[in-house]
Parts: sequence; structure tokens; C-alpha cells
Amino acid sequence: MTKELSVLAIVEATAARRRARRAFMKTAATGVAAVGGLSLLAACGGDDDNMSVPFPTPTPTATSVSTDVAVLNFALNLEYLEAQFYSYAAFGTGLSASLLTGTGTQGSVVTGSGDGFPRAVNFTADPLIGQYAREIAQDEIAHVTFLRTALGSAAVAQPAIDISGTATGAFTAAARAAGVVASNGLFDPYASPTNFLLGAYIFEDIGVTAYKGASPVISSMYLEAAAGILAAEAYHAGLVRTILYTRGVTNADLITATTKISDARDLLDGTTGGTNGDDDQGIAGTNIGAANAVSNIVPTDSNGIAYSRSVQQVHNIAYLNATGANRTRGGFFPAGTNNPNPAFTVGLG
Amino acid sequence: MTQTDQIIEAFDARARRREERRGFFKNAMGMAAVTAAGAAAMSIASDAAAQTAVTEVDVLNFALNLEYLEAQFYSYAAFGTGLPANLLTGGVGTQGTVVTGTGTGSARQVQFSDRGIAAYAREIAADEVAHVTFLRAAIRGTGTSDALIAAQPQIDISGATGGAFAAAAASTTPALTGFDPYANDDSFLQAAFIFEDVGVTAYKGAAGALFNNKTYLEAAAGILAVEAYHAAIVRTALYARGIATPTIITAQNNVAATTAISNLRDSVDGTTDLDQGIAATTTNAGTTSNIVPLDANGLAFSRTPAQVLNIVYLNPRSVTAGGFFPNGINNGNSGLRSSAAN
Repeated sequence: MTKELSVLAIVEATAARRRARRAFMKTAATGVAAVGGLSLLAACGGDDDNMSVPFPTPTPTATSVSTDVAVLNFALNLEYLEAQFYSYAAFGTGLSASLLTGTGTQGSVVTGSGDGFPRAVNFTADPLIGQYAREIAQDEIAHVTFLRTALGSAAVAQPAIDISGTATGAFTAAARAAGVVASNGLFDPYASPTNFLLGAYIFEDIGVTAYKGASPVISSMYLEAAAGILAAEAYHAGLVRTILYTRGVTNADLITATTKISDARDLLDGTTGGTNGDDDQGIAGTNIGAANAVSNIVPTDSNGIAYSRSVQQVHNIAYLNATGANRTRGGFFPAGTNNPNPAFTVGLG
Repeated sequence: MTQTDQIIEAFDARARRREERRGFFKNAMGMAAVTAAGAAAMSIASDAAAQTAVTEVDVLNFALNLEYLEAQFYSYAAFGTGLPANLLTGGVGTQGTVVTGTGTGSARQVQFSDRGIAAYAREIAADEVAHVTFLRAAIRGTGTSDALIAAQPQIDISGATGGAFAAAAASTTPALTGFDPYANDDSFLQAAFIFEDVGVTAYKGAAGALFNNKTYLEAAAGILAVEAYHAAIVRTALYARGIATPTIITAQNNVAATTAISNLRDSVDGTTDLDQGIAATTTNAGTTSNIVPLDANGLAFSRTPAQVLNIVYLNPRSVTAGGFFPNGINNGNSGLRSSAAN
């Protein structure tokens, strides 16, 4: 069986997920054109109750569509990145070519061979993490597919993506900036199950903050779908952080690494200190390993609420734009992200 | 260390979270006044002709009832005590107590053997208490009156004979015999599993109802995310422990228990399959876990308020009380107090 077939087999295996929502995709595919018409998301509801009050759903309006296209394409760029990383790590191959086309300039994934290049992680030593990798990879591919279907002809092409851990790769650059490796060291996220988890950690909370940050501007038509992806990303982040914490009880380096990566993200998105506060947190919590330990799996504010990031802040992290020099491209997106609205492709100056 | 000290310490661990968001309430409270008669009282679908329009306060109070339940459960499990009295009052509905039960299965501090699970319990408990506090402040708005806040209703978190957890455990297929949520790490996680994904689906289902108030919408999205993180902690821990100690597949096994509980939730909330356990699937590419319950598009599920109540009332029919809420939830909108007829 080829790798691509293996991917298909896994997707096929999720029959339970597929059953319920076939009709939805059909509706979603034509939904963008049907602006002002029926509520797309009404197709989601299992509204089989006639006795009680449903939460009201606002009527979609035509005016918000251009913002939706920009926001959903912004999300699609992030999903391309996540899906490619997890797909390589879990299956040793990237997304199929049919999932990469669209408006803007299509780019490729930086590949090659040897240490640090995208490849399947050997999960033999920790097969449980392999199971998680396959699950998350499949979810992220579903997000790419869903967003592309929802956007239809307005979907952007995959931009150039760097998920390499070589000396010049984006993962190494991120890890060096965070101090997870020395300034001349390599960070190969495909070298071991543990390295894979840290690689995943670099992405996961960003998706949560990006979707939450977008929640006030997205139209009612896509709000519930965006909330559904937000939840999925939070589940993924919770999964990755929980496993790191579990492993970290006996391997303090892992805990330290999460703190460093979170601090680096704070630096990149401009929230260290100052009025915006510290919107990123490692998993250490307090008294780790002790009987009175309190973990910090969930990065929240004092109200128990997850953080938001703006489009610019997310780009600062994805571009590894600490100094303002990489405002339009860099890091994981060497040619920048694709978006019909240029304002959705830049980081803070 | 006393229980009170432990609680304080858990909250101190969150100190830096607190510092940065003091301004939030101030901003939120500066928003357009949220009153029952205020803006954005949204119209209701025609099939609920006799019902009153659902306001944002109604939606927030609906969420508050669920947070009371979660916060009390986690607080008892982590610290052996419930919420402070000043977090339970309100002008909407009748204030109730916590039914803890007596003897085996009664609500009490779990004696964790795994320090990691104990750390998670304390973290989640602090988060849920923060949610109660946040929602109460949001509903209170600019004033000082608690008139709009739903008081904590009667809450049953007992696993003793006659308790809600015992009823839930008896209703699963196969039944979780002898289920005591507070007995050990695994039973605690299984009990937590009963709630966690429900919160995710409830907040997701409510997103549209808060659409016109972007401050509340973003806050609700933030709580949704946190509930999903919590659910992931619980599901990941259950799965990892289930794999590490692959005891025979019985109702007491973690993986099998989640399937049984998930089936219970599906059986009471209607015909649509909105729920999944953590059992893995195996293909030629290898075994794939199911920590994240999603549809074919990779999206989390939604539940209507009535479907949520089916689960917490432990009843597939249209009723106004039962299960974890023996006297029903408190809400100014009677339409939000009934479960669905399934």
C-alpha cells in the first residue's frame, strides 16, 4: 500500500464522522454563492426538538462576505501548514496535489532528505504518540478540505511552506530563537516522538488564539463552523500539552522547552509585558511532580478564558518576525501567506 | 496543608493570569447595557411560538448553570469542598444546595495516586470556578445587583445510591456497576468525561445566539476553547491510562467506559450522533486514536440547549428537572429549562 493510500485508509476509517455530515458538505459547496439565502449552518443542526427554545441564529448578510473570504483564507494558510507538518510526521508524505490549488501563487513544501527534512517520525519507541499523530493529521487534512470547499473558487493556493528542521529550516530557526537548542544547534521535529511533540507544541496554541481572535469579525454564516474548528484546535493543543506534561514529570527538559517556546511566541507577537500582558504560557504550572502540583495545560487569563491573537500577531509568529524585518514573509511561510486581502498577509512592523 | 490553603495555592498559580485581564471586566461592563429588556433580544424560530425571546442574559445564565455543576464537581474532587457561598446567589430562580450523598460514592476529595491527574484536577477546578465568577460578573453588568443572575440551582454530584452519578452509571450500556466518581484517578476521569464534551457542544451551539455582542461572543469562544482543552486532558489521560493498563474490556475499563458514557449521551439527546468515545480505529496505516470527537469536516459538534439538558437531566424526554439538576436549572426564560422530546 502506498503512503497516500494509507492516508486514505485512515480517512476512510472514520466512518462515524463521515456519516452524519455528507449533506453538509454538499450544502457548503454551494453555500458561498448563496449569500443572503438560507443559513448555511442550518444544515448542521440536528434540530429534532419541537418543545424547547433553540438558541437564535442570526440571518446571514451579504455585506460580510469579503471579510469572510479573507478570514477563511487566513485560516486556510494556517491549516495548510499544520496539515503538511502532521501529514509528513504521521505518514511521511504531504497533502495530495488536488488540495493545494487556488488563487495566489502556489508554493511547495521544502523537502529533501536526511536529518531535519520532513519525513515520517519513527514512533516505534512510543506508539501511543504515533496514534495521536495520525489522528491530528487526519483532522487537519479535514480542515483544509472543509475550508477549501466552503471557499470554493475563492480558496487560495498553498503558499510555499517550510517545515524543515535542517540548519536553515524554519523549525530550527524557531527553536534557536526560543533557546530550545543552541544558536548553532539543529531542531529536527521528525527525529523522535518527543521532538515531534515539541514541534506540534510550536503550532497548536496559535491556531486556538487565531480562531478566537477572528470570532468577532466572522459572519454568522461561518461562525459556528469556525467555532467547531476552534474547538478541534483546542482539543489538539490540550492533547499535545497533556502528553508533554505526562512525559515531563520525569523529563524536566520537556517542561522547560514549552516555557521557552511560549516565551518566544510572546516575544514574537509583542505581548511580553506591556499593556497586552503575557498571552502565552508553558505547561509547567507550579510544584511539578509534587503532591500539590497544579498543571498549566490550559493557557488562560484570570477569567479562565483562552487568549486571542490578531491576524498580525499570528503572522509575526509564523514568519518568526521578532524584529519587524520579516513583516511580509519568513519562517514557516518563506514567500508569505496567500490572501486576496493583503492586510491579512502581514505581521507587525 | 488545609483544604483552604490548597485552594488558595491553586489560585495563586493563576496569579499572572489575573493581573493582565483586570481591565477586561471594565471594558466588558462598558458595553451596551445588558438587561433583560436590552438590545439584541433575538427572535425565536417559529416552532416555539408560545415562548419568550431568548436574551443574551438568558444564554449566559444557561451557561452559568452548567458551570455551577462543573465547578462544584471539580471543586469537591480536587479540594473536598464546594464553591463559596457568595458565588451561589442570584435573583433568578430558587437557590439550591449541593447533594453530596453519604457513604460510598458521596462527593469528596479524591485520593489521587497519580500526581499528574491530581494536578489536572486542581487546574480544571480553578478554571471552572473562574468561569462561574466571570459569567456572574458579565451578567451583573455595570450595576451591583444580582437580580439578573441565575442562582445556583439544586445540584446533585453524588455517586451514592440514589445520586445522579449512580443514575448515570446505571443507565450506560453496559452499566458501570459500582461506579464511585470519587474513588480513584480513573473513576474521577470517567466522571469528568460525562461533563466535558457536553460543555464544548453547548458553547458551540450557543455561539450564534451571542453574535450581536462581540465582547460576549469572543469571551464565549474563549470558554469554548478552555472546555475543549479540558475535554482533551480528560480524554488523553483516560486513553493513555487505558492503554498503559489494558485490563480486560469491561465497563470499568477506561476506553470501554467512555464508549458506554458516549452512547448514553447519544441515547438521550436525540437521533443524531453527536458523541464519540475514545476507542481507536486500526487500519493498514496503523492505529489511530480518537481523542477529539469531530464530524467528517474536522469540526466539533453542536448541541441545542434542549439537547444539553437531556444529558444533564439524564432523560430523553421533554422534562424540566432530573439527574444532576434535581429541581431543574434556573433561567428567566422557561423555554431554556426544558429538555427535548426524543
